[in-house]
Amino acid sequence: MSTKGASLKGLLLVVLLVSHMFLTKEGVTSLPICHNGYINCQLSLEELFDRAVKVSHHMHFLSSEMFHEFEDRYAQGRGFIAKAVNSCHTASLTTPEDKEQAQQIHHEDLLNLILGVLRSWNDPLIHLASEVHRIKEAPETILWKAVEIEEQNKRLLEGMEKIVGRVHSGEVRNDIHTPWDGLPSLQLADEDSRLFAFYNLLHCLRRDSHKIDNYLKVLKCRLIYNNNC
Amino acid sequence: PPEKPTIIKCRSPEKETFTCWWKPASDGGLSTSHTLLYSKEGEEKVYECPDYKTAGPNSCYFDKKHTSFWTIYNITVRATNEMGSNVSDPHYVDVTYIVQPDPPVNITLELKKSVKRKPYLVLTWSPPPLADVRSGWLTLEYELRLKPEEGEEWETIFVGQQTQCKMFSLNPGKRYIVQIHCKPDHHGLWSEWSPEMYIEIPTDFRVKDMVVWIIVGVLSSLICLIMSWIMILKGYRMMAFILPPVPGPKIKGIDTHLLETGKSEELLSALGCHGFPPTSDCEELLIEYLEVEDSEDQQLMPNHDTPSKNTKIILKETDSDSGRGSCDSPSLLPVKCRESRGLPSALQTQDVRAKEKKGGKGSWEAQCTASEQKTLPCNSESTKSCTWLAAQLPSNQPAMFAYHSTVEAFKMTLNTTNVSTPPVWVGNEENCQSLYPIAETVYDDVEKISEMENSKTDQTTVQVRQNQHNDKSPFLNPKLMDYVEVHKVRQDEEPTLLLKHKENSGKTKKCTVPGTNKEYTKVSTVVDHHILVLLPDQRTQNTPVSQEHVAETSQNPHQSQAEKNTSYSTTTPSDSRRDASGSDYMDPSSFTPSFK
Repeated sequence: MSTKGASLKGLLLVVLLVSHMFLTKEGVTSLPICHNGYINCQLSLEELFDRAVKVSHHMHFLSSEMFHEFEDRYAQGRGFIAKAVNSCHTASLTTPEDKEQAQQIHHEDLLNLILGVLRSWNDPLIHLASEVHRIKEAPETILWKAVEIEEQNKRLLEGMEKIVGRVHSGEVRNDIHTPWDGLPSLQLADEDSRLFAFYNLLHCLRRDSHKIDNYLKVLKCRLIYNNNC
Repeated sequence: PPEKPTIIKCRSPEKETFTCWWKPASDGGLSTSHTLLYSKEGEEKVYECPDYKTAGPNSCYFDKKHTSFWTIYNITVRATNEMGSNVSDPHYVDVTYIVQPDPPVNITLELKKSVKRKPYLVLTWSPPPLADVRSGWLTLEYELRLKPEEGEEWETIFVGQQTQCKMFSLNPGKRYIVQIHCKPDHHGLWSEWSPEMYIEIPTDFRVKDMVVWIIVGVLSSLICLIMSWIMILKGYRMMAFILPPVPGPKIKGIDTHLLETGKSEELLSALGCHGFPPTSDCEELLIEYLEVEDSEDQQLMPNHDTPSKNTKIILKETDSDSGRGSCDSPSLLPVKCRESRGLPSALQTQDVRAKEKKGGKGSWEAQCTASEQKTLPCNSESTKSCTWLAAQLPSNQPAMFAYHSTVEAFKMTLNTTNVSTPPVWVGNEENCQSLYPIAETVYDDVEKISEMENSKTDQTTVQVRQNQHNDKSPFLNPKLMDYVEVHKVRQDEEPTLLLKHKENSGKTKKCTVPGTNKEYTKVSTVVDHHILVLLPDQRTQNTPVSQEHVAETSQNPHQSQAEKNTSYSTTTPSDSRRDASGSDYMDPSSFTPSFK
């Protein structure tokens, strides 16, 4: 009997080894593992929104920090804020200005608006990252933040397009977009003008990123949690 | 004209309305009115404050309709009096960044127990009522702080956007103060701290620990008490285990009381000895020397000062079982004062050794005349037994008796024919010393015992040397007598003879234990812890052996120890004892492993 048991064990061992060998081969792949948030190996809308909110939150945080650093360093006593009134290029986009407007707008419209704003900032952010080194003695922190924000914007844009693809019943509108023509102002020879141009750009960036973050949170609470965040 | 007013601050409590406060211009006593004007970004129109009253004096309240976000307000205040007016500096404000909520509300505490029975605190709260968190318009972050009630510094914990917190590290029994405040997620200002909340952790666990410790302490103290009590009670036994007592020899036929009364005649008659006490002609026996003639290894007793050598008294012991009642007892040191402890331990013979006088203690030689006895109780046969009463050694001296006895004398006396006088025991009569004839043979060679043959009846005088302290020399019966030698043999101690003696009696006990025969020296029993009962061998004789009470100096511990050694005792003259011991006897050889 002992020999029989030993032979069975050996057979089992062989079977295990062979199966392991087969399983680890290239040609044989197991099913893809779906992580949390995946439904049928596809990200759920909740997960998409959570990720979008995280990115937008971080983007606004970076832009706010960058603005404050710039303001503390270069804008003291220059009265830039007085001049930076109604100077954002995205002002033409009619976005909700208070809570009622945000709650009344349709979520699809709001999503399209968000997409429009994000697309509008695509270009300026690229130039900001490339032109910020022109600032005299620009601290390292501003520099890498500009680069980071530009990346975040791209990522958020991808996520938002996914969300819009899920939520939208109709086709995705692609027309909301505001061109930016502030590049020459960033390259002005006059330092004061150039600084104001940067100040203005950073100020508008901070504002718009905050708008996007706020809108996304409102949408998340409305669509995912049914106004019960 | 009035001075310029200044705008202090503008705040929004819920990100839906906001209020601005200004500091009115100091006027010179004239009544001054203030107006607040504002314009919004991108618009040229200037508006006036819609509500001066709601927020109190010198304030302007902007309701929901007049509040726009992501818009810069340009606010100014104008102070006007009779003299003129003055305008404050413009104040640019974006309402998005001036949100300062109210403190959180509904702070509740709950004590929960984790899996390991450790309690932790769960703190829950609610956002301020005005803040619209549900719709996601306003997102708040929370922070709490706590400190012990008597503490100085606060410990601040950032909680984030959750509305509960689990606290694990609180000490039971202490009181803590906890507070919470909140802030919008991006910009804005922290709210005021919530009202103080007191936390007290229950101490039930600590109480349990205390109870456990109390029980442990009580139990351990009880155990200590019991242990100490046991030590006290069994102390004697422990001592006996360590220092075994030397039992005194007990010789059959010797009545304790008789000895006490001092009627030697009766006693001796009981023993069957005649001619005892020795008469005056035995004065010669009162020599401090114990001269023993022995063919082999016989050593004369040196003077009492240095009883380094012990003559060996060989009790004839032809018995195979070697009732070691032979007189080859170790030298016995004379004992001056009887100490209770001295006696039992004195009898130790393992290898019979010369017992040297211990410092100061005189050893005395007992002159023991072995004379053959030929009486009933005395064994007329060969065996003579040296009985000697153990003299107690002084306390400081190990209970060893140095006996010097003449082996040969014993040998001689083995013959029962002419044994007339019992051996004489010499004891130290000094004060409490009871005398015991100490006839001790010290052997290096155990076989000496076997040499005890029936000797002729010639008398051998065993002179027991007395120590110098002895005033009275014990009487030594020159005649050979059979007597039982009682000694103890112990492995590492010199054999000593323990003789029973009366308390405080200075009498010389003289007793001859008539040895019956070789088997005489079997120890029967130990009676009363101090009487060794010897029995003659059943085969040979039924004569009761002379009894001798073994003085028991040591108490039980010694006695018990004595039992282990070769100790011989004679049965007491009492009949009962005799009867009791007559039936069986113990082979002393069992006690003396050393003997061959």
